[in-house]
Amino acid sequence: MRERLSCCVLIMSFSLTLMAQSSSAPKKEDVDPRAMAALDKMGTYLRTLNTFQVAAVETTDNVLDNGQAVQSGGVVDILVARPNRVRAEIASDDMDRLLFYDGKNFTIYGQRVNYYATVPAPPTIAELIDKLSERYAIDMPLVDLFMWGSPASAERTEITSALDLGPSSVDGTTCQQYAFRQEGLDWQIWIQQGDYPLPRKLILTTLTDDARPRHTQILKWNLAPSFNDEAFAFDPPEGAQRIAIAEATASPTNETKKLQGGVK
Amino acid sequence: MNLFIRYLLSIVLVPLLSVGPVFAQRASARTSVNRGNVNRNTNVNANKSVNANINRNVNANVNRNVNVNVHHDVYVHGGYYGGCCYHTNTAAVVATTAIVTAAVVGSRVYALPPACSVVIVNGFTYQQCGSTWYQPQFVGTTTTYVVVAAPR
Repeated sequence: MRERLSCCVLIMSFSLTLMAQSSSAPKKEDVDPRAMAALDKMGTYLRTLNTFQVAAVETTDNVLDNGQAVQSGGVVDILVARPNRVRAEIASDDMDRLLFYDGKNFTIYGQRVNYYATVPAPPTIAELIDKLSERYAIDMPLVDLFMWGSPASAERTEITSALDLGPSSVDGTTCQQYAFRQEGLDWQIWIQQGDYPLPRKLILTTLTDDARPRHTQILKWNLAPSFNDEAFAFDPPEGAQRIAIAEATASPTNETKKLQGGVK
Repeated sequence: MNLFIRYLLSIVLVPLLSVGPVFAQRASARTSVNRGNVNRNTNVNANKSVNANINRNVNANVNRNVNVNVHHDVYVHGGYYGGCCYHTNTAAVVATTAIVTAAVVGSRVYALPPACSVVIVNGFTYQQCGSTWYQPQFVGTTTTYVVVAAPR
């Protein structure tokens, strides 16, 4: 009995120590205003781009059941015409997918499996991003490009630490490197120096997993892409079969999904 | 180089030798490059967005052993996944387990058993494998097959 008591006291004092530590967490002096200003400038600039094409090389760590982080890689090619057209091509270790959005419908197509699914889409890219994420558990590739500079962007509220790390080269272009911290996430960004403050490289480190999985992107920009309307509309190739997209349920980790447009 | 030839042989021979065509090809080609031995059950994916900071665990416990495309293995082979061709049966065992549990309506698998036929009902594609019907579905961006009641 006495042992148990002393154990309780120990736990209590330990948790008090923890509380004391966590209450002193974010200090405002950790936030370098130059780094924040650079993010703002980049975000504002990104808002001004009406059409652009980005080719990205990505890596992502997946954490195995045994706790080991293993990397998978891929490339994303995305063509955007604001406010309501996107075409994206994803080619990764695990899959190849084409995404089409023409302001009316969203289609996901898997070339090798020759399956596609089409669902009605909201009228803007911003709304599409939310719908895909919340309803279908599909993340828009390079989604941050659409978020920076918007009212909902992370830099408004989330950042607890911001550092300017100085010049650093990406693909032979001189950038400025910055490091930021948010709850559960450390990230670095390389922003091109000069008149075109574009994000050129991004590294995210997830802190909520012991394996600290990383996601990296290296971005190549084309600010004057040539395209026509057909780029955004899906025309099913011969033999392509239409299938459903599972709807994400309210519970985020729940694997049971409802059928969308399913059996009739 | 030796490994590469062995890999090519397995690609060529497997379709000729296998009885259950699609499935057997996939499983064998898969394991022939050793990556098939890796159980890619994943817990948490890395955050991919600064802004959304979504960690929805959508892909939790996806067993990718039977799902990874053969084309991908070709690239892997040239790289660091050197020693190959040991556990030829590994993926087959996993997949067989999937088949056993697959008969329950609502269960989900990442590869089909052999000898299925495509049936289109109301514009949607189904796979009929014996008495079991599967509906291909995207879950997020991943292709899966859900066991459904016979649609007709």
